[in-house]
Amino acid sequence: MKRFQILLATSFTGAACGAEVAPGSGSFTKEIAPFFEAHCVSCHGREKSKGKVTLHTLKGDFTTDDELERWELIREVLESGEMPPEEEPQPDDAARKAVASWIDAGVRAAAGKSPEMETLPTTRRLTNFEYQNTIRDLLGFELNLIDNLPEDPVKPYAFNNSAEFMLMGMEQIGRYKESARRAMASAIVDPGEPEVHRSRSEWKAHGIDRGIGGDEVGVWGNRRNTPATGMGLKSFPKNGEYRIRIKASTILPPGVGGMPLRLVMGYGGLGENQSTYQIQTVGTVRLSNSPDNAEVYEFRGRIENHPPRPPRAEKGRLLPSSMAITPQNLYDDGTLNDGDRNLSMPRAVIEWMEFEAPVTDVWPPEHHTRILFDSPLRESDPKSYVREVLKRFVDRAYRRPSTDQEIERFVKIYELVRPDVETFEAAMRETLSMVLISPPFLFHTFSGDEESRHFELASKLSYFLWGSMPDEELMRLAREGSLDDPGVVEEQVRRLLADGRSKDFIANFTMQWLSLAKMKTVPINRELFPRFLYYVPRGERAGTEQPYRPTIRDYMIEETTGFVADLIKSNARVSNLVDSDFAYLNQPLAAHYGVEGVEGNEFRRVAIQPKHRLGGLLTHASVLIGNGTGSAPHPIYRAVWLREAILGDEVKPPPADVPALTDTVGESAEKALTIKDLLAQHRQKESCHDCHARLDPWGIPFEQYNAIGRFQAKVPKEGTRVNQFNPANHQDLAGYQAYLDSINTEEIDAVARVPHGPRVEGMEDLKAHLLKDRKDEVAENVLRRFLTYGLGRSLTVHDRFVVEELLGQAIKDGYRLQDMIVSICKSPAFTNIPKR
Amino acid sequence: MKQKSWHLNRRELLKGGGAALALPFLNGMSLGMETRPKQLPKRMLVSYFAYGAYMPNGPDGIPAAGKEHDAWSWWPTATPGPLGFNKSAAPFEPLKDYVTYLRGLDHAGGWSLGGHSSGDVFATGADMSEREKTNNISLDQVAANANGDQTRYSSLVLGTEGGTGSYGACKTLSHRGPGRPIPSLNKPQEIFSGLFTPYAGKGVEDVRAGLKREASILDLMMDQSSSLKNRLGREDQAKMDEYLDSIRALEQRVERTSQWTHSPVPNVDTKGLNLEVSHKDPQEYIRCMYDLVYLAFQTDSTRYATLMLESEHSSSSEMWNYATYVLGYKGATHDIAHKRPADYSGQWDRWRAEQHAYFLQRLRDTPEGDGNMLDRTVVLWGSAHPHASHSTRNYPIHLAGGNKLGLKHGNLHSFEGKNKVPLANLFVSMLNAVDVPVEKFADSTGPMTEILT
Repeated sequence: MKRFQILLATSFTGAACGAEVAPGSGSFTKEIAPFFEAHCVSCHGREKSKGKVTLHTLKGDFTTDDELERWELIREVLESGEMPPEEEPQPDDAARKAVASWIDAGVRAAAGKSPEMETLPTTRRLTNFEYQNTIRDLLGFELNLIDNLPEDPVKPYAFNNSAEFMLMGMEQIGRYKESARRAMASAIVDPGEPEVHRSRSEWKAHGIDRGIGGDEVGVWGNRRNTPATGMGLKSFPKNGEYRIRIKASTILPPGVGGMPLRLVMGYGGLGENQSTYQIQTVGTVRLSNSPDNAEVYEFRGRIENHPPRPPRAEKGRLLPSSMAITPQNLYDDGTLNDGDRNLSMPRAVIEWMEFEAPVTDVWPPEHHTRILFDSPLRESDPKSYVREVLKRFVDRAYRRPSTDQEIERFVKIYELVRPDVETFEAAMRETLSMVLISPPFLFHTFSGDEESRHFELASKLSYFLWGSMPDEELMRLAREGSLDDPGVVEEQVRRLLADGRSKDFIANFTMQWLSLAKMKTVPINRELFPRFLYYVPRGERAGTEQPYRPTIRDYMIEETTGFVADLIKSNARVSNLVDSDFAYLNQPLAAHYGVEGVEGNEFRRVAIQPKHRLGGLLTHASVLIGNGTGSAPHPIYRAVWLREAILGDEVKPPPADVPALTDTVGESAEKALTIKDLLAQHRQKESCHDCHARLDPWGIPFEQYNAIGRFQAKVPKEGTRVNQFNPANHQDLAGYQAYLDSINTEEIDAVARVPHGPRVEGMEDLKAHLLKDRKDEVAENVLRRFLTYGLGRSLTVHDRFVVEELLGQAIKDGYRLQDMIVSICKSPAFTNIPKR
Repeated sequence: MKQKSWHLNRRELLKGGGAALALPFLNGMSLGMETRPKQLPKRMLVSYFAYGAYMPNGPDGIPAAGKEHDAWSWWPTATPGPLGFNKSAAPFEPLKDYVTYLRGLDHAGGWSLGGHSSGDVFATGADMSEREKTNNISLDQVAANANGDQTRYSSLVLGTEGGTGSYGACKTLSHRGPGRPIPSLNKPQEIFSGLFTPYAGKGVEDVRAGLKREASILDLMMDQSSSLKNRLGREDQAKMDEYLDSIRALEQRVERTSQWTHSPVPNVDTKGLNLEVSHKDPQEYIRCMYDLVYLAFQTDSTRYATLMLESEHSSSSEMWNYATYVLGYKGATHDIAHKRPADYSGQWDRWRAEQHAYFLQRLRDTPEGDGNMLDRTVVLWGSAHPHASHSTRNYPIHLAGGNKLGLKHGNLHSFEGKNKVPLANLFVSMLNAVDVPVEKFADSTGPMTEILT
């Protein structure tokens, strides 16, 4: 987390500045302390300690880290002009600069003294995200294990891949043990031929007079006994790869080019009244072929990732475990999902569907033979074979060559287990499971030993840029010892980022950096925004979001993570984060934002115009919804978001002794005032004013965007109750817009003067200001985020000079995002793993 | 060590570790169980309800002077003293000698967490805003550490959503310590099987053999990890200790499970229990969860339980709409907490009170010794914020039972203003009542004498 800003434009280094104060504590009493007495101590001293900061106790001492951080804070607010507050008498510029550069010199001298201690990487366990990916790459197939692990902690605007958050407890280990056994049960198959389970269903069309056909899947609501109600599986194995084939086509209304068809598999019907369901996606295809040209589509996956309904007793009978495959029509052009208009929407036609598992094209499967490979030793010297198997597996699982001692311990486990189980395979499963709960697998460890340093570097790179274990190429480079070469590192970083796995990293990084997760739980006011989400229109679940379809919220998250991924992969400039000439959209989102001409659920770059009021991250619905109330924008949340996520400031939560907003103004929520009035009242209280005067203005320009993240020129009049939405009259987007226009009658007020900046009228001005005056701040923030995530620890005062150097490099390179990541990975802060 | 039994092996290891880990009595364990004079158990349940409660009468829900008491306020009566029962509290009227309301209590450590997150510290009182960012041990686990070895399960951790959730969005009340939340169980069938058919149809001998192997494997894992630890730096060694402690705890659990294979599993039939209950019927579901706690207590399978009835982050769970099912309210549960149409929220509070009263009555109606089960069960019920504004002061707090464990009931106590004490004081007295001789818990300043006889 960034605490200190370095404004290069106004940076004071050494002789460059005008007035100078000699470094050291001698000059402190003579020149620095009087400055504090004159300008600071009245608020931050004996009587008052605003923001819990006091300066009267400073002695000009730079020896402890606490002191250093305090000094940095002081320097930062002095340099940025944030302090003294604007309404107070100001020191002259020369004095301000002199004090700032005196602090800078002191910090510089002190920080250099023990940088090693501070840059040490620390041992920490894999995050759940890393664990899941590592198992995937180790075994060679995707296995959903993450849902079985206790959730990892999330802290707003912080990354959780640090020793501080990645704690270990019995429950964690217990779940690791279960997961490891599940993983090995899938990876190693039993000897002999497997039993193959098959199911098949066919559907026939019927006359057009009966509406939607018996072999069709509509967008909403379907007949019984059509493919839309799914195909129950006669039987299925516990483990193994499955293959599903369907023969499908589509009937499209004029002007529509295609439709997405998704298959899901699990249990529980998808009907409106079902509340017990558990489904996972099989895959999605885009259909555009007519029924005359029906085609066969094949999907593959692992049966383990689709939990079946457990066997259960019902009315005295024991019902076996069950599961069904259900196709879903995901076409979405923004039309409301109430009323039966299936015939005017794209329909999928499914002639037949087949299920088969396990897939036996190659048997035993490759993931099995990769572990239990063919070897002459297997027959001649089983014990040596076990060693050989272990050596190969453990080397990969540990991301470094294992020691003989380590292998021997697992041999012991094997010997302990073998007599108790029937097959060699079962014994190996158990033995290898234990590899997956041993510390070198579960933890990132750093020894700095010459023989392991390069492997540790390989892991640092791959866990940074893939969230997973190194691949064979990285391991080879580690064995060759060539990861010291900056050229090799650069080549590798660009290779890793170009690989599909980097998508995992960027999504994980972006979710935490921008604190996006909260947008998923903000309840949207349905009276104000009646057609925002997919709601279940009928039955007991009426009014709830359909949990078994991707909703617009999911797309909004993908918009943001995909946008950042696109920028990194194309090595775009950091300014795109603030404003860009393209958006990253699919059809449902384009409909949401009012951008025409986007078809299909796949995301892509879409050129935008000023009228769309989009561009950059600030107007992403994920950000705006997450930092709103669901009914209205929330300028404070949005201001906090801007300062934390984009400008890199740490905004402290309100102190515990300050009452909550509503408590200060009304006795209950029913009588609460509008947010704008609240803000005004809030700022009148001295205890609130100091922080909010510097915070609120940042949020005001965001008022142009409503609680569901759309641009709004006007808002509903305060106090009016808005509920005249009639789905029958407002079913298309134009009708919906007419409804919104009828309730939004008041001009929005989005004018503010940003702290130490200009007056801005709305979002466009705000973005212009950020790009013009705060570009380096934004760049530095992004750099710090990457560095923090890459190092797996929060940055300290000692890292400041590394950041300064990296920022200088970034500016030289033209503020390009991918280049920033490359220079981080090449910098000593990243590559240096000191010996313990 | 090859000649020694794994039991001895474990003991040595634990001794050698020098950690203050309570090692269950090993040799002659089963003998001990049979000959020990039967002492009636002392039990504790901590139950939480989400989204606060309706407290219309003033800031932080503390009634302003001179205002008429709201019939739908969560507080049963306006003034401290003997209990009266308004509409919201009516379900507890038949239990009036067994219940106490405590007003003005909260955890200072949760003040700045915000109403959506203060549930994290409800049972821990951890200072999550400052010093204990990864939370800390909950009171049920303090009890489990002290006396948990007397039952087959040291504690039972239930919740309607299941799992641990995350910081700021916990879905469990129980925490082993910093960064170690205990996942809550939410599937009735799974809970029942875990409690009463733990061997899943396998013979006891097989189970015992399996457990023995498991313990030996963990033993080898421990050796291996210890040797790795020695190669690490000091700070990293601490991380490895975390790991070793976890493996050790796992071993202890295995060992404990093995010991208990010598005692018969209580035979509980599922009559009257609908273990397949769907969340669509929240009353059935919540009562089923309460029934499971009741059965666990009645069979003395465990003495300490937590039950989190929804979290403030339940929108992804089945329970999200339970107010819809219960009250016909058109909107998500969370919205009731904000909109507060007086009769909806009042009725909602009352409905929740009915479920809790159902559990208390079941305990009271079950004779035990010279009294009933409720006499020997301390039950805390509450939430971590008071009302619509999600302020984190003045939790709704309700205490019941334990009448034969030194607690007295029938009053509303008020701890507002100069009477303010930490909620953790109540926890100290609750723990003491169930034979856990702690003097301090979280930020407590002493016991809570008001509730003691």
